[in-house]
Amino acid sequence: MIEQISNPHRIATDLAAIVGSAHVSIVGDTVAVVPENTEQVSSVLRFCNRAGFSVSAVGGGTKQRWGTPIQSKIILHTRRLNALLEHTWQDMTCTVQAGCTWSALQNSLAQHGQFVALDPLWPDRATVGGITATNDSGALRLKYGSLRDLIIGMTIVLADGTIARTGGKVVKNVAGYDLHKLMIGAFGTLGLITEITFRLHSLPVHLKSFTIISPAAEPLGSLLLQLLDSHLNVQSMQLRTKGDVFGLDVQLSALPEVLKDQTILLSAIAHKAELSIEEACAELWDNRVLSFTGSDVFTMKATMLPSDIARFTRIIHDLGGTAVTQATGIMTASLPVTLEHQLPQLRQQFIDAQGSFTILQQPASTDVDLWGPMPDSFSLMQRIKQHFDPNRTLNPGRFMGGI
Amino acid sequence: MLSSTVIAELKSAVGADGVIVERNQLQTYECDGLAALRTIPAAVVLPRSTAEVQALVKICARHQIPFVARGAGTGLSGGALPDAAGIVISFARMTRILDVDIPNQRITVEPGVINNHVTQRVAPHGYFYAPDPSSQTVCTIGGNVAENSGGAHCLKYGFTTTHVLGLEVVLPTGELVRLGAPALDAPGYDLAGVFVGSEGTLGVATSVILRIVKKPETVQVLLAAFDSISAAGQTVSDIIAAAILPSAMEIMDRLSIRAAEVSVHPNYPDCEALLLVEVDGSSTEVEIQMQQVRAFCKANGAWEDRLAQSERERMLVWKGRKAAFAAAGRIAPNYIVQDGVIPRTKLPIILEEIGRMAEETGLLVSNVFHAGDGNLHPIVLYNASIPGQEEIAIDLSMRILHRCVDHGGSITGEHGVGKEKQQAMGYMYSEPDLDTMQRVRCAFDPQHIANPDKLFPRPRLCGEKTGPYHPHPLETAGIAEYF
Repeated sequence: MIEQISNPHRIATDLAAIVGSAHVSIVGDTVAVVPENTEQVSSVLRFCNRAGFSVSAVGGGTKQRWGTPIQSKIILHTRRLNALLEHTWQDMTCTVQAGCTWSALQNSLAQHGQFVALDPLWPDRATVGGITATNDSGALRLKYGSLRDLIIGMTIVLADGTIARTGGKVVKNVAGYDLHKLMIGAFGTLGLITEITFRLHSLPVHLKSFTIISPAAEPLGSLLLQLLDSHLNVQSMQLRTKGDVFGLDVQLSALPEVLKDQTILLSAIAHKAELSIEEACAELWDNRVLSFTGSDVFTMKATMLPSDIARFTRIIHDLGGTAVTQATGIMTASLPVTLEHQLPQLRQQFIDAQGSFTILQQPASTDVDLWGPMPDSFSLMQRIKQHFDPNRTLNPGRFMGGI
Repeated sequence: MLSSTVIAELKSAVGADGVIVERNQLQTYECDGLAALRTIPAAVVLPRSTAEVQALVKICARHQIPFVARGAGTGLSGGALPDAAGIVISFARMTRILDVDIPNQRITVEPGVINNHVTQRVAPHGYFYAPDPSSQTVCTIGGNVAENSGGAHCLKYGFTTTHVLGLEVVLPTGELVRLGAPALDAPGYDLAGVFVGSEGTLGVATSVILRIVKKPETVQVLLAAFDSISAAGQTVSDIIAAAILPSAMEIMDRLSIRAAEVSVHPNYPDCEALLLVEVDGSSTEVEIQMQQVRAFCKANGAWEDRLAQSERERMLVWKGRKAAFAAAGRIAPNYIVQDGVIPRTKLPIILEEIGRMAEETGLLVSNVFHAGDGNLHPIVLYNASIPGQEEIAIDLSMRILHRCVDHGGSITGEHGVGKEKQQAMGYMYSEPDLDTMQRVRCAFDPQHIANPDKLFPRPRLCGEKTGPYHPHPLETAGIAEYF
């Protein structure tokens, strides 16, 4: 690999030849480039890869603090790749460029009463590509699955500029590897996503939310399992800390007649457990965004089995933190900075319960282990990185284990 | 042929009664459900545990022996077809259910467990295992994982990959790793996601954590008879446009209806197109939605409909559909069943094209398809004893797949690529696409011994670089040739 003089001005000139000078700018020691299509992304990456410059892609910049902090030479902005390329509503699929914001995408799809069944954080700013690279998911996951269930195809650009398509435009497709699954949650370390094809669902119309309060987490945990085992049309369910008490939020989605019956059933179940139940507003389904506010907190994503949700919620609460956990077993929590030295022990509890514990954001003053111990498949992950990005051009060091 | 050293090593790993080397016994393993392709392997081994599987793969890795795993051998694309110089790892002796966790809706099984047995195990608790390929009373979870099997109910419930949470895998290098986890979103790359559907080319699963689903309160199936495929297809479109998500929607054409009748006597109406719509959910929901479905059928000219409400009635209705492939054997000496996918709205067009292409060749093609997701199974009927007819049939089936790709679809919705469609991969994907997939393969299997001659049109030497052609060091050294 040829060593280049990494003078930003020199780099900017070279990149301007690809995207036009209006779309290149120097920011301190780094160069920002804004390509307009997949081909330009490919040319930019090929150039950077050959020259030995590291590249980080940025969409809405909402999750810049997630993962290990790195400073790449080139910042590739995806904002010009923002078109909804295709919405075949009769087939219930769509293809969108990665730089499109989530809200813009959903607003377009809503015109035919459809949506991508995912509720990510900061939808007005976060882009399809960034949401996918971080595998964000929310309350809708219980009913609709995650990005790996909703994405049916992708166009990616590898570090050496190779443009590859994976999957296709049909939901049912077992031809070849599901490469797009590998890209989901990979923090941009294997390739740059430029287009995604989604399977769509009809927008749910009749919804009702409820909150059941309890001074203890365990009764709500039992109720959660009971509801998972029931025939109620539970679209979303989450258990959270609520000041000194705990709340179980339940959202039912069904035809109006069915909704009426199920509301009565749900109330009966709550009363049988001697818990109070109230109707609630839809905003509480975005509750997890609160874990990201405040500069003196650790924000974590933890995973567990549903039967452990109450126990871990109580543990976080007793430590002085806040947590909201989806019935799928995915917790978003915040812990005060004073708990820095208890994190390893806390992490071990989750691991012992067959779950995981990742710190997404940490205060500026700390430097803790974000990822925890590496899984036994880690060397396989390293080999995959080696085959996809041997020069470590894409987000080097951003992901777990220094990948 | 394997050396006596290797055979001794295999026997040491699984016991003498775990190794088959007699030719007439090996013949049982020479093909899977794609009986046209047969190769006798050098040996078959039957491990009983993860440790034994790992020992076997290490032997293969050490001696560079190709291997392929085998469950029930029901696959339809030749995925379990052995290599003449390789071994078959049969999972017939790894059939235990290892853990059942009803509150968390999870079950852990060895790969040789039969698909339907998973459902049977959890049924008393009101659960079922959703992916239901038609061979589910025989096929195994390991095979389902390799192919990412679907079935009639994947429209609503998803595929095998939707229901696999984690796996224990022996990599072709001999390493034992866990992919995924009992909890969701195991940190790191989604290795479980890329492993499911990789057709045995990335390693061998030795245990699988599956998700089970609560059985719906009520299930009803409606059978409706139409005068044309397009009327049945339009009904499907109307149902979907009304935001109803049935648990299954199937269409059978006249020829496949007749075959099913001769074979299992489901007593279907004799019509041009039969539509099966299954709706599940709460009782009230199913009542309301079924009424709407019936109305759509009538609006599109259905001249008969029958509602199956009891379990027994439902089973009878499904019996005919699930026997559709085997039933083809009743009306023709030979048949090839294909597995193309097209965007659902293109169904009438592709069927018309298939009809035309079939007419041109003088062969009959019967059609059965998962109408909700555009996965069609054209069954090409022919007589192999007529010289040349088999070649024509194979060619027709491949051209049908190419048309599916032309319409924005796929060459396979559930049967996998295997041996059968390896060349067609080159029609569906470009060189860079295939090359990128091969990078994954090289990371998992640098020696290229895991089911090597499958899935891709041309194996990529793992040291290869993309871009302008550079001779591989082996070529320059005069040791290998590039075909």
